[in-house]
Amino acid sequence: MKCTECSHEAGVSSFRYLYNARIDAPITLRQCPQCQAWLAVDEMAGEARQRVDAGEAPWGKSAGIEGLAEDAR
Amino acid sequence: MVAEPAQDQSVQELEDKQEWWWVAEKKRSKRLDYLRKSVWKKGALGGNYAPGIKLDLECATLFTDMWKFWKYDPIMMRRAKAIAHVLDNKTIFITDHSQLVGYFGSLPNTIMWRVDGASMVNEEAYNEPGIMPEPENESLQKVAELNDYWAGQTAVDKVARILDPEDAVKFLSGAIGWGAPSSAYGYSGKDYEYLFAGRRGFEDIIEEINAAVENAEDKTVGVPGPEILDIYDRLQNWDAMILVLEAGIRHARRYARLARTMAENMETDEKRREELLKIAETCERVPARAPRNLQESLQYDHFIQIFARTEAHEGAWPARPDYYHGPYYDKDVNVDKTLTKEEALDLVGEFMIRAYEVGGFAPRWAREGLQGITGTWVWTLGGVNKDGSDACNDLTVAFLQAARLVRVSNPTFGFRWHPKVKDEVLRECFECIRHGLGYPSMRNDPLLIQNAMHWHGHPLEEARTWVHQACMSPCPTTKHGVQPMRMASATANCAKMVEYALHNGYDHVVGMQMGPETGDAAKFHDFEELFQAWVKQMEWLTSLLVRTVNLGRYKDPEFFGRPFLSGMSERSVESGLDVVSPVGDRGNCWVTAFTWVENIDSLAAVKKLVFDDKKYTMEQLLSALKANWDGYEEMRLDFVNNAPKWGNDDDYVDDIMLRCLRETARHSRVMKCPSGNSWPILPENVSGNIHYASIVGALPNGRRCGDALYDGGISPGPGLDKKGPSAVLKSCGKIDHVSDGRAFLLNQRLSPTQLAGEKGYQLWKAYIRTWADLGLDHVQFNMVSDETLRAAQKDPEKYSEVIVRVAGYSAHFVDISRKTQDNIIQRTVQGI
Amino acid sequence: MSTCAECRSFFLREDEPGQGDCVRRVVDPRQAFYQSKPVREDNDASGCESFQKK
Ligand code: SF4
Repeated sequence: MKCTECSHEAGVSSFRYLYNARIDAPITLRQCPQCQAWLAVDEMAGEARQRVDAGEAPWGKSAGIEGLAEDAR
Repeated sequence: MVAEPAQDQSVQELEDKQEWWWVAEKKRSKRLDYLRKSVWKKGALGGNYAPGIKLDLECATLFTDMWKFWKYDPIMMRRAKAIAHVLDNKTIFITDHSQLVGYFGSLPNTIMWRVDGASMVNEEAYNEPGIMPEPENESLQKVAELNDYWAGQTAVDKVARILDPEDAVKFLSGAIGWGAPSSAYGYSGKDYEYLFAGRRGFEDIIEEINAAVENAEDKTVGVPGPEILDIYDRLQNWDAMILVLEAGIRHARRYARLARTMAENMETDEKRREELLKIAETCERVPARAPRNLQESLQYDHFIQIFARTEAHEGAWPARPDYYHGPYYDKDVNVDKTLTKEEALDLVGEFMIRAYEVGGFAPRWAREGLQGITGTWVWTLGGVNKDGSDACNDLTVAFLQAARLVRVSNPTFGFRWHPKVKDEVLRECFECIRHGLGYPSMRNDPLLIQNAMHWHGHPLEEARTWVHQACMSPCPTTKHGVQPMRMASATANCAKMVEYALHNGYDHVVGMQMGPETGDAAKFHDFEELFQAWVKQMEWLTSLLVRTVNLGRYKDPEFFGRPFLSGMSERSVESGLDVVSPVGDRGNCWVTAFTWVENIDSLAAVKKLVFDDKKYTMEQLLSALKANWDGYEEMRLDFVNNAPKWGNDDDYVDDIMLRCLRETARHSRVMKCPSGNSWPILPENVSGNIHYASIVGALPNGRRCGDALYDGGISPGPGLDKKGPSAVLKSCGKIDHVSDGRAFLLNQRLSPTQLAGEKGYQLWKAYIRTWADLGLDHVQFNMVSDETLRAAQKDPEKYSEVIVRVAGYSAHFVDISRKTQDNIIQRTVQGI
Repeated sequence: MSTCAECRSFFLREDEPGQGDCVRRVVDPRQAFYQSKPVREDNDASGCESFQKK
């Protein structure tokens, strides 16, 4: 998986797992081990979708990434 | 700071926009506005104290000085003298515009520090950034000195020394439960029947104690024999009770003197001068003698709470203010007409603010578990009288109205609903919910009275006096029913039951063997084997916690001592025993069952996909769980979306819920409290579902380690209740809310748009009727839209007064962590 | 040596000889209030920053 911020590439599991966007959707929040950015990750595709600032928007329904979890399904 | 509402907007415009916090500001009196805005918020934001909040070193120092001085006294007497010294010498204050007085710290911005409670907490106090009073270095030195003195001799240190070492290590791992097995950090009921219904002031109690002492002393100079031997201890206890009751009277008179000094020397405003003289008169009257009017009654109650909290860090606030103060409201407002309704509303609103102000230093796990507040202060409203008639009165309505004006997140209300509640009162409850307060929670009174009789044998008349002992559990306010000490340490992280059943009792998160070895789950041939492993883990986990609490309770009079609480309880005044002694206490224990529903959804998922459909093997599942589902996303989604989930009226999974509850209820009767009574479970979460997110491993319901757990005691998983609110109610209605456990917390989110206007009220009322008909004991609502909550995440300053229901309590939305905020937004908004 | 008895904030208690209260107005970042703390009239006031002669 490639970090959208610093382009660091590594296996998904080496990006620190934080928490899920919704239990029934494949979007999770992980942290890049290199630049520490919080990323919204599509677990199905194994791809980082976008940066999520701490205190900004980690969840599918919450501020900043409204609808992302639904889109990704 | 609270942002100001747009001045040019009318109340109507703000109501239309459902900006209730600005409506409140516009509607409340100048006095309430000042008091509400000037109060220092003690609840932690996320897990941190707000800037300006300081540790109260004055009280801790005064207490310790006197404790050291009286080192040869028995514990009750020693504590009584130390408390009296604090009450006589600490700084007191009267805030501008206030009419009620009393705070357990020395200044409005201080948090009380229970220095004799637990060394672990004391160390946290030393290390907590930002809370040391200036000059910081001197304060740190003082804290270090106090910590040195108390190390090893706090109440919890003493209990820890005698716990079974294996139990202690497992308990202290933080994986299976939380709390401290000491009344230093308990939930203490108040004997309201004795104090308020009995119309007693402290002087009346002292007279009763003196009579008991005289009687006992006669025996000590009588015929020698074994029956007189424990009288010597009781005499000491009685003396200790008198000592603190007298100190309480003196403390109130310090306020009287301060108010008079202010009135006579400083105050130039005639109206305020009169108010100060009234404060003086009130504090000269109570707590010495029984109250005569509403102000005295509220003031008396507040003093009682402050005194009890000067003695112990009480994490809850059991109270029934409309019932016990209602007669004074009626007398002042309706009969004598000495107070207008508006004046009474000012007093009631301030009474809530005075409670909101109270906060003690809590360790980080407690702050994370109770984000935004300082304890679960759920005041009880409504219900029935001892004869079964409707107990709602004009003060019930006043409290519900005042709540919408002051909008504090603590205390909140639990409303005892019953079929005879008048429509006008129900409307007031709904208005609070519609205004987004998240309270009152609705409690099914007839059912909970039956529940109190079923589990603990409380007689009908006593069961009818019940109050919320903490968030949820009912407890009578009577001589043998009142619960002097309920410790949070019988709080079980229940998701570990299924986790351990799947991993042979081993905890992969903390890395140690915790539960019994119930077999390698990879070799289980059918669901029954897994279920029986779960039963054994459940029995082990609850028994360990209960053993710890029972021991703490039994030894508490020796290790801690509660002279004040004893002096305010009929049982102790009569017997001379510390009120925490189980003698004469009927017992009202419960195991708080955090993270309960994960068990049900996980067991159902394994049953369906592994044993019934045979789509996966146990080995595959265990590999996926060990990998925290990493690399198994498709399989994980299968376990989430294609296995039955609790809350959809599906018997497949609902039957598993009932089986789990009934096995636990059976074990609840095997476990006994020190009074010989049962230990039913009570599923609920406060914000433990966030605290335990990184402590519970991956589970078959599809969660990974790190994900928030489900939010409610029996609430479906957020977003997993796909069949609407009736299906949720029907699933929950399959539980026997009398015999399956002590109470069951259900969170529901409703749409503020749908529930606007009269039609909204009628819809909600019909919902409540269905809820009651289906026999549920609890439901509470969040009625704030996703839009508002998202706006508050983006612009917290502007939405600083938005309140949400977290679990058994409410909090200001901006005070809770991002993860908890998201967990609330993620809950399904139900159209009803 | 000045004593608390000479200070404007000192108020002697009627029923307790020698004992009084130090009553002062405080305005903190959120609220204004009067605070009271017990002091003896012969208390040495020389180190007190809040001393104000009557
Ligand atoms: S302590 Fe200071 S301010 Fe208070 S009375 Fe004494 S000298 Fe005055």
